[in-house]
Amino acid sequence: MKTIPTLGDILQAQGVSRRGFMKYCAATASLLALPPAMVPRIAQALEQARRPSVIWLSFQECTGCTESLTRSSSPTLEGLIFDSISLDYHHTLQAASGDAAEAARHAAMEENMGQYLVLVDGSIPMGNPGFSTIAGISNYDMLMETVEGAAAVVAIGSCAAFGGIPGANPNPTGAVSVQDLVKDKPVVNVPGCPPIPMVITAVLAQFLTFGQLPELDIHGRPVAFFGQTIHDRCYRRPFYEQGKFAETFDDEGARKGWCLFKLGCKGPITYNACATVKWNAGTSFPIESGHPCLGCSEPGFWDKGGFYAPLSTGNFGSGGKLAGAAVAGVALGAAAAVAGRRRQAKYTKEA
Amino acid sequence: MTLKDPIRSPIPYNRGNVRPLLNEIIHALDRLLDDDEPTVIDLASLPFAPGELEELEQTLGTGELTAELDALGKSFIRETEYPGVWWVEHHNTGGEVVGRYIEITRSPEILMSQDADVGAGRARLRDCFEHSGPELNKEAGK
Amino acid sequence: MDLLDFARGPALQVAAYILVAGVLWRLVGILMLKEKPEFSEPRKPGGFMAALKVIYTRSFTAAPFKRATLYPKMLAYVLHIGFFAVIFLFVPHIVFFEGFLGFDWPGLPNNVIYLSGVAAVVAGLALLVRRLTDPVLKLISNFDDYFSWFVTILPILTGLIMPVRMGVRYETLLAIHILSVAVLMIWLPFGKLGHTFLVFVTRGTTGMVFERRGAKT
Repeated sequence: MKTIPTLGDILQAQGVSRRGFMKYCAATASLLALPPAMVPRIAQALEQARRPSVIWLSFQECTGCTESLTRSSSPTLEGLIFDSISLDYHHTLQAASGDAAEAARHAAMEENMGQYLVLVDGSIPMGNPGFSTIAGISNYDMLMETVEGAAAVVAIGSCAAFGGIPGANPNPTGAVSVQDLVKDKPVVNVPGCPPIPMVITAVLAQFLTFGQLPELDIHGRPVAFFGQTIHDRCYRRPFYEQGKFAETFDDEGARKGWCLFKLGCKGPITYNACATVKWNAGTSFPIESGHPCLGCSEPGFWDKGGFYAPLSTGNFGSGGKLAGAAVAGVALGAAAAVAGRRRQAKYTKEA
Repeated sequence: MTLKDPIRSPIPYNRGNVRPLLNEIIHALDRLLDDDEPTVIDLASLPFAPGELEELEQTLGTGELTAELDALGKSFIRETEYPGVWWVEHHNTGGEVVGRYIEITRSPEILMSQDADVGAGRARLRDCFEHSGPELNKEAGK
Repeated sequence: MDLLDFARGPALQVAAYILVAGVLWRLVGILMLKEKPEFSEPRKPGGFMAALKVIYTRSFTAAPFKRATLYPKMLAYVLHIGFFAVIFLFVPHIVFFEGFLGFDWPGLPNNVIYLSGVAAVVAGLALLVRRLTDPVLKLISNFDDYFSWFVTILPILTGLIMPVRMGVRYETLLAIHILSVAVLMIWLPFGKLGHTFLVFVTRGTTGMVFERRGAKT
């Protein structure tokens, strides 16, 4: 196996000063939500870390997750690619194409057998392998072949993590998630539609720095970023508690920044870091910009009864069925009354 | 209100992130003076409501010393109005903020010249000295 | 389909069908019964006004029984008013009703609602203790009494736990809360909880008969 240079070697070779390296470590600590006291340990780990090979597979996806990652500011994506990881295969970002690209993928797999990371975005169609292919290879075949020698698999975005929009009702392609198919390798889910870019890079940074995957919740998501609901960290929570809600998108309540529960906010059941980490380098997040949370990091969020249906509304079925129940009730009541009246008549006559 | 006026999301009430932070800084200053122990507060870990970070920055203000570092992007290190309390902000090459800290210390670590850099610099200077020896002497002799 | 989807979907749907059918069955079954013929002379005019009058007067305990019933009566008022506030004045519940009624109304702040819920549960527990310790009540209490108590208190309790979490994930607590409401909806038409839609019917009927006979009402 080829000797992989350490990150320390690479940065030194690039003429990055020690101060620059310290900045990088501080930014990584911030990214991993670790206290500043951990920076020396991170510096030590990073100096000795080897650049892992990363193979990115894109299946039934909209490329939004890659777009989100290219907006990642900490570390910059270019920095991420060239300094921290060796991104050996990625449809949108790689220069090679066609056979050359597939050859690069196989070469990376062989050279780094057992040590490379597989990143997946997009769901995998099981209805018919022909629904989504790359270089004539079905998504399923490419996934199972590539993960064989992987150290771990990271499912990026709700499509790869839970099936996402292709998997939404009626799921015409038979789309499934990565964890539905990969059973013998550690799988980390980084859901979101798209995920917050910082969260994607934090998972990679954790792997790079400490050589291990972060602590995961019941849905396989890193607890550091998916451990709290939006509702529990939302700055508009005081309005929820005071009973101040926006009723429409342009009323007085909306302009005053009141709670968006009545407009369908799924914050209470959504676990993500949007309320604290926010988007576009901490600029804002959907609720702050006036739109209710869609719950995009939760499984099946497309089919939870509607983005603008409040969380506490029921789904009572068709009016027709309820009317049917009413008619049945009346009929039963009438029957009971007729029987009752017969009894009454009998007793009155006997009396 | 016209279409041109942006609708700013207001703070529901003072979410109270600034005051406790100021208190924490006071206690950190105690530790600095009594035990010579520095403290670093990572501002990215705190869920600020809109406007609170600006409020904190304004409250702490700017003091006598400002330094600009150029390594993997710019960094701005300045002592606030309160000596010993430093505001450290790291940017990447794209100009985006990658780290924001309040350091309560006599001097932030990153301001100091680092051993590795000093060593590398010494090697370069030696190189420069050895290779430009005769010319330098000539210059001096003029 | 996870637990929450089941609770918000099929569970509530089926509970709604059973609630509607059951309430109509009992109401129609009772209202369509033949009135017993009254052979005595009317002392006072009976009729609808008498029904309304007695619905009002029966809200106040008759003087001889006031002292003995004061304690359970106070508890019952706290339970009913607290329950009413929690169901109809908590904004997420108001939104639930708006979903099928089409209109809404103003609510109260969450902490006021929470206090009402706690008061209702405490009153409910006190009433249960009374039912279990008073010898007469213990003798005459049956499954209907205890089960009705249980399905009434459970939704309030599960609702109170939700903001507190107790180590359980929010969506699980929400699902359990909605399921407990579904159980209440299913049982409501059939036991003594039927008083929700029958109490004024029965009081009114008693009133009409008693007024006509000249009893003190």
